[in-house]
Amino acid sequence: MKVMNSPRSVELAITNQCNLRCRYCSHFSSAGDVDRDLPTDEWLSFFEELNFCRIMNVTLQGGEPFYRDDLPELIEGIVRNRMRFSILSNGTLIDDKIAAFLTATGRCDGVQVSIDGSTASTHDANRGKGSFQQAIAGIECLRKNGVNVSVRVTIHKQNVRDIEAIAKLLLDDLRIPNFSTNAASYMGLCRANAEMVQLTVEERSFAMESMLRLRTKYNGRVNATAGPLYEAECWLRMEKARRARSDGFSEAGYLTACRGFLSQLAIRADGVIVPCIQMPHVELGRINRDDFGMVWRDHPELNRLRERRAVPLSEFEFCQGCEYINYCTGGCPALAYTLTGVDFHPSPDACLKRFLEAGGKLPEEKILDGAKY
Amino acid sequence: MTNTDKPIANASIVLREEFDDWAILFDPDTGKAFGINPVSVFIWKHLDGTNTIDDILRELRINCDNVPEAAKNHIEEFIQDLVDRGYAEYNLAPA
Repeated sequence: MKVMNSPRSVELAITNQCNLRCRYCSHFSSAGDVDRDLPTDEWLSFFEELNFCRIMNVTLQGGEPFYRDDLPELIEGIVRNRMRFSILSNGTLIDDKIAAFLTATGRCDGVQVSIDGSTASTHDANRGKGSFQQAIAGIECLRKNGVNVSVRVTIHKQNVRDIEAIAKLLLDDLRIPNFSTNAASYMGLCRANAEMVQLTVEERSFAMESMLRLRTKYNGRVNATAGPLYEAECWLRMEKARRARSDGFSEAGYLTACRGFLSQLAIRADGVIVPCIQMPHVELGRINRDDFGMVWRDHPELNRLRERRAVPLSEFEFCQGCEYINYCTGGCPALAYTLTGVDFHPSPDACLKRFLEAGGKLPEEKILDGAKY
Repeated sequence: MTNTDKPIANASIVLREEFDDWAILFDPDTGKAFGINPVSVFIWKHLDGTNTIDDILRELRINCDNVPEAAKNHIEEFIQDLVDRGYAEYNLAPA
């Protein structure tokens, strides 16, 4: 398989620390929940190697990136080494000083802040008291200082009936250009709190329909690469193709859903190189000890994961007799691992057949057809 | 531009040679990037402020087969495009 000489982007979990403990956090209690953070100088040395490897962008995440007192120093190292950056944050620790600093670098692509409710009671239900007001203040602070802000809404049991009000808050009241959504997934702390936070089949059906309607109402300003909205779009197209007995979709019928192994790598807070921040159990090496470019090009485990794309779904007992097999790409490898214990397997969470057998209902197709985006 | 001007690449621009036959020039200050072919990569690597366009053309003819007659024009156009984008400038010869 043809692989680039180096990845274009790298995800950096610059800290294991966070001031919140959200019930569905994918980080804590995962293999990425490590017992130490790297000191400043180790990150700075590594940024020099990333420059050597011609990395274009890094995404700073954690934990909570703004928890680190030396964040400006780290960002200066990123800028010095010819990269751009973006940050994933809970928004609660952002003040004017750091927001002004981000703008002044000229290299910040944006800060993504998590907002999970239209009110404090909904947002704080799983993120902790006071976090809503702080996150909204963080967004306002970023915008006042000219930082590009995006918002991620994680859909869960406590906010699934609040989605329309969340869209109104973000798009009408706060005038955020758009927001993305996903769902509380079976990773990290969510595994222990699954019954409390994850959607039932009925709630998932409701979320798919209401989010598809919102997407149409707001002319594409609500989007997703995972979760109910993404599933609504994918699954409706799969159902339509099955009924019409259409030819299979491009790349479908194999474990091809994820292209991440071909474009990026990630670093845990302790400096361990991993294929993806959601697959922290797959240890490929350590920064400042192993050659980053060689890990990317030659590590047998990473190359094994890349070969996932050549594995036909028809090989799996799980997929036998499925009418959607030629339209399916197997879902997220990280979720496949947390749900089944193996990454060379379709993700049960992404299975349309299973969803329907459990009583799930797809939205009306005319909603998808009416979507303008 | 004169025959003695020596173009020099902007040091903040990143050349990413992604595959044998494909590379991109990335400007981290704007986030913009554009793809270039192997000949353009060869030229870019000679923009160190010590080579004139004639020097680069000579090196190109030594290292590549079937270099067309119009190659000098192509090199000039490519470098001018880089200058217009802010990716390179001319290291002017002393008067």
